[in-house]
Amino acid sequence: MIEDIISLTSQALVAMIPLLLASVGEIVTERSGVVNIGLEGILILSAFISSLVTFSTNDPYLGLLAGALSGLSAGLLHGFISVYLRGDQIIAGVGFNTFAYGISILGLINTWGHHGASPMVSKIPFFGAPLYISPLLPIALIIAITCWFWLFRTSSGLRLRACGEDPRAAEAMGVNVLRMRFLATVLGATLTGIGGAYIVVGWIGQFTRHISAGRGFIALAIVALSGWNPALSIAGSFIFGFFDAISLYLPVKIQLINPGLNLTSLSYVFRIIPYLGVLIIVSFFFRRGRAPRDLGRPYIKE
Amino acid sequence: MRKIVLEVSLSIILSFLIGYIMLILMGYDATRVFSIVIREGLSNPTYLMMRSTPLILTALAFSIPSSVGVFNIGGEGQFYLGALASLIIAYTTGNSLLSTITGMAAGGLLSALIAVIKVKRGVNEVVTSIMFNWMIYFSLLYLISTYLFDPLMPYQSVSVPKNARIEYLTIQSVSIPMIFPIAVLTSLAMYFLMYHSALGYRMRVVGISPKAARYAGFDPESSIIISMIIGGAMSGLGGSLLILGHTHTIDSTMSGLYGMGFAGIGAGLLGRNNPIGIIFSSIFLSMLLIGGEAAELRARVPTELADTLIGMIVIVLSAPYIVRILRVRR
Repeated sequence: MIEDIISLTSQALVAMIPLLLASVGEIVTERSGVVNIGLEGILILSAFISSLVTFSTNDPYLGLLAGALSGLSAGLLHGFISVYLRGDQIIAGVGFNTFAYGISILGLINTWGHHGASPMVSKIPFFGAPLYISPLLPIALIIAITCWFWLFRTSSGLRLRACGEDPRAAEAMGVNVLRMRFLATVLGATLTGIGGAYIVVGWIGQFTRHISAGRGFIALAIVALSGWNPALSIAGSFIFGFFDAISLYLPVKIQLINPGLNLTSLSYVFRIIPYLGVLIIVSFFFRRGRAPRDLGRPYIKE
Repeated sequence: MRKIVLEVSLSIILSFLIGYIMLILMGYDATRVFSIVIREGLSNPTYLMMRSTPLILTALAFSIPSSVGVFNIGGEGQFYLGALASLIIAYTTGNSLLSTITGMAAGGLLSALIAVIKVKRGVNEVVTSIMFNWMIYFSLLYLISTYLFDPLMPYQSVSVPKNARIEYLTIQSVSIPMIFPIAVLTSLAMYFLMYHSALGYRMRVVGISPKAARYAGFDPESSIIISMIIGGAMSGLGGSLLILGHTHTIDSTMSGLYGMGFAGIGAGLLGRNNPIGIIFSSIFLSMLLIGGEAAELRARVPTELADTLIGMIVIVLSAPYIVRILRVRR
């Protein structure tokens, strides 16, 4: 029993990292007034690009960098559309998710001739045996706490939040609202890109068709539940990482006890757990009215 | 009207152009691929009508709530649920009408739940929609592999019995799958609902300005819930018609259902959220989907080419400002 709990916690610490990076990135973006629901697409695309780079260079750290750069490019696109072209941010995000899925699978089949998964690539090793701790865990935690400090304890953080609450007042304060929103979008997408690359080079070790499996949207739920606070999103990411861990751990455990069961079809039932968990928690514990006031609205300079 | 035509055609041209360059970079003969996509996509009118049917309905599922200001991106899950409910009822009762109604009810019930969580708890519909999509996806995989599989062909579910299938109507050697006129008539009915009825007027006012709606005595919350129920029922109907009139079964990997809800979002946006525009945009996107499948056989380009193109069309459509910039320069 104790062993199970330790093992689940360890798995949760592995699974929370992409959720934490994506949700902290999205908090920075949304605090500036821009919504990016293309997180799912960024996770998929950066996971694919990082598997491609790691496969050809055999260096997972380069893969991580490539993932960050893919996220950055996605952020440039979304920032340009939502800030300078005053596009509809939700529609741009939905379009990007479809596009990123399409192009990543196109690339997967074009590169390896396989429809389901890439070959295994080299990984960033875990430390702290018997637990599995990725070096990205402390990095992600430091990023989350730094972002909290930046947003709530520095004057540039205050200026960023002003862009999301009342862009006109921010402009009067001398803030370049358009530039601030653009940079916040790029930064948020870059962090999400690191998260996507981590799923491949830090965790699974290969790219698969459903590699992200809704994690981008779970990160969006964490953003709302944390009340747009990066420090609280650590707790949210751990809880949903824990659900993720349970869904992978339970079917294996059950089969150990009862080897006669059909694991494949049973595992489908357990895959429901993380999504059901999000639904229940969001429906019962979300408190409305804490979103940045100007969220999702394009700013038009007079 | 001219502005809309310009925006829509520009988004298609721009995304085809990017797709063309992308294919060349990946080492394909892009000209040949695009000519296969368009030629093969249009080669079989019967099949084109068949494939457009579910798309018209998932597009309505997105567009009707969208006119009220709600983003129903749960069309995918509502479509799965409609297909499942419809299959079970058709298999057990052999009655196609009952099966269709159940499919619509299943889709509508799911979207109602999403709308109630939004209205009562303030939770964004985008997040709950996606959570439901994945839950239903895995539930269907489980049900089909465990309870509903065909003992003779275990890689697919049991089939819709012959007497419950919706067949073809042949007019002068052109056979029309009956599900297509059903979808077109539904779309026309939705047009009248949205633009020529009191309910539709209320919904559109809420979409333009919830404050003005409240001032006029319209309750925005009930409009949101009603629009979502209609949307979900449309998606459920789409799943129903696909099962009764086309596939008659669900394969164990769900490849026949996967992605229809998301393609519907593209069709809805490309049709400018107008039920009549949606009929044409759905036929156009179905051409891309069918052509994409032909390109896989003939030129070994993965079918995800169609997803990529649809995604790009949607991205360009999100920013109508692009069109304005290009027009000023001209």
